[in-house]
Amino acid sequence: MAVYRRGYQRYRGDLTGRWARLMVLPRFAWKRLLEQRLVVIILVAALFWPLACAAFIYVSNHSELWPGLDRDFAKMLQIDGQFFVIFMNIQAVFAIVLAAFAGPSLIAPDLANGALPLYFSRPLTRLDYVLARMLVLVGLLSPVTWVPGVLLFAMQSGMAGGSWIVDNWRLGAGVFLGFLLWIVFVGLVALASSAYVKWRIVAGALVLAFFFVTAGAAELINEILRVDWGRALNPGQAMNQIWRSMLGAEPMRGPETAECLIAIAVMTGILLLVLERKLRAVEVVS
Amino acid sequence: MTSPEIVFEEVSKFYGDVLGVNRVTLRIPPGITSLVGPNGSGKTTLMNLMTGLIHPGRGAITVRGLSPRDPERLMRITGYATQYDAAPRGTTGFQFVSTGLLLYGYSQTEAERRAWKALERVSLTEAADRKVAAYSKGMRQRVRLAHAIAHDPEVLVLDEPLNGLDPLVRAETIALFREFAGQGRHVVLSSHVLQEVDVISDQVILIANGTIIAEGQIRSVREEIHEHPSQFLIRCRDASRIASLLFEEDYITEIKLNQDRLGLLVWTRSRQEFSRALTRIALDGHSIESVLAGDENVDALYEYLIGGGR
Repeated sequence: MAVYRRGYQRYRGDLTGRWARLMVLPRFAWKRLLEQRLVVIILVAALFWPLACAAFIYVSNHSELWPGLDRDFAKMLQIDGQFFVIFMNIQAVFAIVLAAFAGPSLIAPDLANGALPLYFSRPLTRLDYVLARMLVLVGLLSPVTWVPGVLLFAMQSGMAGGSWIVDNWRLGAGVFLGFLLWIVFVGLVALASSAYVKWRIVAGALVLAFFFVTAGAAELINEILRVDWGRALNPGQAMNQIWRSMLGAEPMRGPETAECLIAIAVMTGILLLVLERKLRAVEVVS
Repeated sequence: MTSPEIVFEEVSKFYGDVLGVNRVTLRIPPGITSLVGPNGSGKTTLMNLMTGLIHPGRGAITVRGLSPRDPERLMRITGYATQYDAAPRGTTGFQFVSTGLLLYGYSQTEAERRAWKALERVSLTEAADRKVAAYSKGMRQRVRLAHAIAHDPEVLVLDEPLNGLDPLVRAETIALFREFAGQGRHVVLSSHVLQEVDVISDQVILIANGTIIAEGQIRSVREEIHEHPSQFLIRCRDASRIASLLFEEDYITEIKLNQDRLGLLVWTRSRQEFSRALTRIALDGHSIESVLAGDENVDALYEYLIGGGR
């Protein structure tokens, strides 16, 4: 065997951990996204509804401000699962809009510029890359979803007292986990669209189209076949049913929570498959 | 101790029905290795395979004992510059290199220090704070090289690294490759400029249609090609006389006299016999100033083994 001379030394200093390395990509992406006026406008607009809800919580906890209030009306002001379901449904729309604006700039430009080899010739796997891109969306969508949701829960807890938390802790957990599920799902739709088409604008339109088309298809199936399980194919409604179950609110007519969970799982699987097929360092020609 | 070689064992890669490389078996030692072959011959596929960007359908690859399926470990010792201009145009050259280093896990300070050092090595410090979009082709080539060497890799894989470089920077870049190779590292590169490959390579790998045609040091590859007589250029005073003496040997196939009658080009089927004959002639008192191999270069190997396809 040949004797090879070795005239160099490997780096023996400290290295940052895996998560610190993963956060490098989101750091730059957030900075870039927050420089976009439209993203900031949507973020600000998404705060109005939580503020309105906060006002509602304040009012519902200060019935003394409304002397002579009708008992039925006072019941309507109750903070329960239904209240949080309504809150979540509105914020979920903002999450979709934000994802449609921010998501396409995450992968499509890398594909268009052939930049994936740049990432994958670093100590990064494809999973790391997707995870880093997903973290961008988690960071961006959190301030319009679970963060205000948990703050509202905390506000209600503070005003209603300790016994309310004990009886309703499930609402706080439901808001957090429900929104997390929604963020991951919407994030995957945005990433898959961004990976599927290389043009940012088309990818953005594809995100919105995904939710419109699936909603339309669900209604069409229900009408033509005279069934109601078609709703499970509408991710918005399927998620709504899951949230209701998590928050203990009255379920909607249509498919059961388990069926909705299966539908969301299948759609998630398809989105992951798109990412798996499209996110390759080298474009595969067949 | 792990093997300091890049090893391909019976590696095949197909892109659907399209052949990438077929049954490649190679052992690449440290030093400068050039991949030479026509467009679409499989050079980039080999590079992508050794850096783990694609995985073989068959066979096994190890890079200094590491599997390309383990990017966490492999990419710490490997630097790869593809031929594509993929640097984000909105970032500066410095940001591009330092961000890459953060992905390796270096601290901000260490990443910045190394980024400057790498940019210095490719003579790009003056343009470091300019956006990549404003770079010329040669500068973009250099910033890609800086990106690949910034973490001081043991294996440097470069796809067409000399394209678009001006002569001065080209010479500096070649010196950089030599320095890397001299330290016992691997420098694997592909190039279409055969004269340069000739000058810089310790070994060459000739590839065509996804198959390895030849590999090794240029001289030993040439010695293996028996169907093409070897060429030697002889400088001497008495060219006509030496030509007539050489023609008596049956392994000499052709001789051409130079117009100035001070040299001749000889084609021989046996290098050893030719060498012995030349020694005899010199010992008989004929003055021979120099003997140079005329086709011990990549250009000739390419012509003999791959043909006019380039």
